[in-house]
Amino acid sequence: MEQNETRIKLTGRIDSGNVAEVEQEIFAKLPEDKSASIVLDAEELEYISSAGLRMVLRIKKEFPEFKIVGVGSDVYEILEMTGFTEMMTVEKAYRVVSVEGCEVIGEGFNGKVYRIDGDNVVKTYKNADALGEIQHEREVARLALILGVPTAISYDVVKVGDSYGSVFELLNSKSFAKILAKEPEKFDWCVSEYVGMLKKIHGITVPEGKLPRIKQKFIGKVERMKDLLPGDLGEKLLKLVEEIPESDHMIHGDFHTKNIVLAGDEVLVIDMDTLAVGHPIFDLVSMYNAYVGYSEKDPEIVLGFQGYPAEVARRFWHKSLAAYLNTQDEDKIRAVEDKVRTLSYAFLIDWATRHNTADEETLSLWKNNLIALLPQVESLDFETDLSEGKSRNELEIEASVEKLQTVIDFVNSQLGAIDCPPKAQMQMELAVEEIFVNIAHYAYAPEKGNATVRVEVSEDPVMVTITFIDRGIPYDPLKREDPDVTLSSEEREIGGLGIFMTKKIMDDVSYEYKDGQNILTLKKTL
Amino acid sequence: MTIRMEKQADKLLLAPEGRLDTVTAPELEKTIKENLDGVTALTFDLADLEYVSSAGLRVLLSAQKAMNGQGEMKLCNVNETIMEIFEVTGFSDILTIE
Repeated sequence: MEQNETRIKLTGRIDSGNVAEVEQEIFAKLPEDKSASIVLDAEELEYISSAGLRMVLRIKKEFPEFKIVGVGSDVYEILEMTGFTEMMTVEKAYRVVSVEGCEVIGEGFNGKVYRIDGDNVVKTYKNADALGEIQHEREVARLALILGVPTAISYDVVKVGDSYGSVFELLNSKSFAKILAKEPEKFDWCVSEYVGMLKKIHGITVPEGKLPRIKQKFIGKVERMKDLLPGDLGEKLLKLVEEIPESDHMIHGDFHTKNIVLAGDEVLVIDMDTLAVGHPIFDLVSMYNAYVGYSEKDPEIVLGFQGYPAEVARRFWHKSLAAYLNTQDEDKIRAVEDKVRTLSYAFLIDWATRHNTADEETLSLWKNNLIALLPQVESLDFETDLSEGKSRNELEIEASVEKLQTVIDFVNSQLGAIDCPPKAQMQMELAVEEIFVNIAHYAYAPEKGNATVRVEVSEDPVMVTITFIDRGIPYDPLKREDPDVTLSSEEREIGGLGIFMTKKIMDDVSYEYKDGQNILTLKKTL
Repeated sequence: MTIRMEKQADKLLLAPEGRLDTVTAPELEKTIKENLDGVTALTFDLADLEYVSSAGLRVLLSAQKAMNGQGEMKLCNVNETIMEIFEVTGFSDILTIE
């Protein structure tokens, strides 16, 4: 319950017969302080007449911080009809769901997930006042889905015991943790799907302001724990974190095998409440913690948490990291792992000291490991390749005129492989400039966003296809009327030339709007 | 891009060299604006112009519009690549090209 909140239960019927009595009772319970917030709990209210409504208005007049909660559908109808739902905060009653005897299919730090029937699961929260959390998770899950992450979105909020739960439709699902525990032969498949999903998430650019920057959270953690380190190591750690490059790419924030599920034949990511933007190292940290960090002193912890032994967890971490970095080079893997561990120990030390969740021995193990790592680590940044080796012909870049030269250089480097006549090369440069500048000027204005440029070359005959993709406002430049080239200079308009030229010098220009993306394709046969 | 400029009384010669594109066109536009007062004969020498995009064409078109009211404008030493762009866009018909 919030501070300075008075909760009053309304029961049965309130009408002209008993309203005077009820009102007297209620006003006797109301506080002196008129700024107090008053909550009328209508869960057991069956009927309220206009005399009762007038009483409600009298209370609200004296206590502006006022709301009615737990309103059943009959009473809600009355409040809606009389316009009360617009005059004050009215919260509907939640459907009550019992999880007694239901199978627990997931458990995290903040609550449990139960299967309530064949098609539905309910995620419960330890926090009794979880409505804010539920709302937040719903919003970020919706955002993630729109941006291309396969996830489940809750369709209902229900009352579970003293707290709340969100209901998801999740058919025949099982987590990767369960698959690894029960079907060890699927280990490699799990690694490949898991890493594929991670790369997919990290490849997504999130519009500014939609998700928090995870780096800020980590700076806060390091600031809290840095004084536990000897000498100037704490300052060095803080500097390392501050120097991690900013990124607008999506981060899941808690990417371990209990949060990846196979539903039917579809792989989904769940538990979206930690979604953020930032450098990929932050996701690798949550992974290292889940598989190795938490259980470094006591391997039993990972068995209890993930359901498979510590040896499997370590192997899964190592193989996933190698696949994520597209390398088998153990030195390279180790170098990145050291960066990840540095940040992991900082996270674990802060987490354990704040929640008092680790014994002295574990804490000093983490601390000593961190102290040993810090002198060797000079940067927490590393090269990532989200392309799985096949899309090096693609460039994702901020759509701004300043990046034009980078785009042209990229296209020319792609054309370098073929024997492109200088004239055709210049024509393609021209088309690339016109289209990219158009995107830079209009697609996201006044905001900023990214564009993807892809160059494909097919042989026999040699044909170059250049594709531009942006997630800006839908706009088909081909719909624009061509300028009338027969007009005199006085009559000629200044605009519209770029796309016109592009159409003239390329063999084919086509546009489609698909999955929230403007896709413009240019083709030229050499 | 660099711009070579020669000004004699009411005659102005501008020779943009290199690339006249989205990034460099504003520079040429500014040079024209600052020097066009009282000019009755404006000449662009395009001998060393390698590339022109629509942003560059727009600058040439506004210069032509301005000169329509105060004198004459012509382009000389137009190379083949640039000429083709003028032809595609109909600029070869509205600009005076020598």
